[in-house]
Amino acid sequence: MKGFLSGLLRLRRGPWELLASCLIGLGVFMLMQPFVLWAFTWSFLVTLTGTVMFIITSHFPE
Amino acid sequence: MADTPIDRLARATPSSLARRVRGLSDRAIAWVFVTPTILLLLAINIFPLIWTVRLSFTNFAANKPNAEVKWVGLRNYTRILTDPDIWQTMQATAHFLFWTLLFQVVIGFSLAWLINRKFRGNDLLTTLIVLPMMLSPAVVGNFWTFLYEPQIGLFNYAVEFFTGIPASSFSMLGSVTLAPWSIVIADTWMWTPFVMLICLAGLRSIPDYIYEAAEVDRASKWRQFWTMTVPMVLPFLMLAVLFRGIENFKMFDLVVQLTGGGPGSTTLLTSIELKREAFEKWRTGYSSAYAIILFVTVFGLASIYVKALNKVKER
Amino acid sequence: MSAWSVTEPSARSKGIAAVLVILYTVITLLPLVWIIATGFKTGPDSISYPPKVIFQPSLEGYVNLFTDRTRATPEQLAAMPPPENFVDEIVQRRGEVITQPSKFGARFLNSVIIGFGSTFLSIFLGTLAAYAFSRFRVPLKDDLLFFILSTRMMPPIAVAIPIFLMFRQLGLSDTHLGMILLYTGVNISLAVWLLKGFIDEIPREYEEAALIDGYTRLQAFRKVVLPQAATGIASTAIFCLIFAWNEYAFAFLLTSGTAQTAPPFIPTIFGVGGKDWPAVAAGATLFLLPVMIFTILLRKHLLRGITFGAVRK
Repeated sequence: MKGFLSGLLRLRRGPWELLASCLIGLGVFMLMQPFVLWAFTWSFLVTLTGTVMFIITSHFPE
Repeated sequence: MADTPIDRLARATPSSLARRVRGLSDRAIAWVFVTPTILLLLAINIFPLIWTVRLSFTNFAANKPNAEVKWVGLRNYTRILTDPDIWQTMQATAHFLFWTLLFQVVIGFSLAWLINRKFRGNDLLTTLIVLPMMLSPAVVGNFWTFLYEPQIGLFNYAVEFFTGIPASSFSMLGSVTLAPWSIVIADTWMWTPFVMLICLAGLRSIPDYIYEAAEVDRASKWRQFWTMTVPMVLPFLMLAVLFRGIENFKMFDLVVQLTGGGPGSTTLLTSIELKREAFEKWRTGYSSAYAIILFVTVFGLASIYVKALNKVKER
Repeated sequence: MSAWSVTEPSARSKGIAAVLVILYTVITLLPLVWIIATGFKTGPDSISYPPKVIFQPSLEGYVNLFTDRTRATPEQLAAMPPPENFVDEIVQRRGEVITQPSKFGARFLNSVIIGFGSTFLSIFLGTLAAYAFSRFRVPLKDDLLFFILSTRMMPPIAVAIPIFLMFRQLGLSDTHLGMILLYTGVNISLAVWLLKGFIDEIPREYEEAALIDGYTRLQAFRKVVLPQAATGIASTAIFCLIFAWNEYAFAFLLTSGTAQTAPPFIPTIFGVGGKDWPAVAAGATLFLLPVMIFTILLRKHLLRGITFGAVRK
């Protein structure tokens, strides 16, 4: 956990990619969940953020 | 060899030509070789994509090319993302995704595990099992409607044979409760071999000495399975699940042939709904926004997929 | 558990595994066997209850697949000359006459033309690009490779809208050229990724030796790398061919007549009254059989093909 946080602070690829992947995963879940319409509405923005973040952070150093 | 100036010139000319060709630096060759591919992809994929983005902010309709095109801003997006019907198709997709992935992983992994017992003839059986996934989903899906026929279909007859439920008493494609399962069954039949093949590769990548060491430590078979086999196969399984997930999220051909989205909208997967909006109702601007939403989702999943791919590659 | 090896499964566990796998194989092949069998049934046999496993084989399905027919009145039938060949005989026995050959032949030919055309093009472009990615330092290599792969992941329906508009503008809709270009665009990602894997495996030393011998880069590529990559290129080609052969969404949305391939056509085969299942099955058999044969030929490279070359076994 500590390594993860310091990785984030030092802009390392690994933890940021993980974060972006989680965001994409969350967005996909929000898109298809059957519970609240509100989550469906905002899912696209979450996925988009995650995807853009992934593209940027995959260029961070290892 | 004679060494007149003419001869020297004759010898020098081809070699200088050759030098010029050789002088085509590696860098230049790299560009010459890569550019056509990139250009084609730009024309066939990227240019249309940018066009879709542009259309998604308008009310353009492809069947009325001469009508005035109005810029509507984000309205298409907000309409899609607050529409309970679209939400419904997403849930139908989720049902399809969840159950196909579950069945395919369970059956595919078990099969791979059995085949990895290395009994005689396992290569031949693997090849036979793989056949369904290589076939055309549309043609096969169309034939599955025949297998699902209530009175005469092979599937219904098999159900009657094993359970005693009369074959004509239920219709897999016509019933609201059964139709979602009919597409799950057909897709599982078709794509389980895919998961199986990848799991098999994962199982075969585990070196024997690991098990030998565990045996020396007297770890039980059960423990060996959970602490060694499963973690070693997991990256491969991830790969298979992500790929099938992406493919089934955009599933079109098999299901459109099987049920066409019906009955009602019980099997209306999101790609089929998109096709209706775009090519039957001709709401091009609206469906462009819809396409972008699907595309971003797939693209996000694909980037995770490529990461998983590289991870497996390192093994 | 045998004493001599802990990793070798016992004979009994092997036996159980074999039985279970054979059982699955039989079940999974049943629909395919059923397609082939239905193609050789007569109309009434194909829709009998219970489904007929043993039946008198007939070529009715194949005859119906290749012909368009219409019902004839008894007088017309009586006035007709006696059947010259088995085709006429089958048709006349059911009180029908052939009006014209069906479109199936043309649709099948379209599949062949578009399949081979796009395969050739994607292998040609793909080999060049894969060689460059494998051997040279291309700027932004990883990004380009990811970009190439991601084009493969696009939902076909999503790209179909602008492609439909674009083709309409360029006059490419429902043409062979348009479909060949389109399938090449989809297939090239697979070709590049697979071929890069195959070329990566050829030791660089071979080329370097050739370069020292006075070959130019291009000569070394043609005379050293290409022959070494031949099996890889062949199996990649088969994968591309299978994809183009099976593709449905684009073909369904963008073609209707001249360039329509077999997958959107086969489901539209109807008989004189309702769905003509033997004819559909006959068409499906002819269409699926080449792929089955290719799959068996490809079995060594199957895994690479479906994972974009990541898993090599």
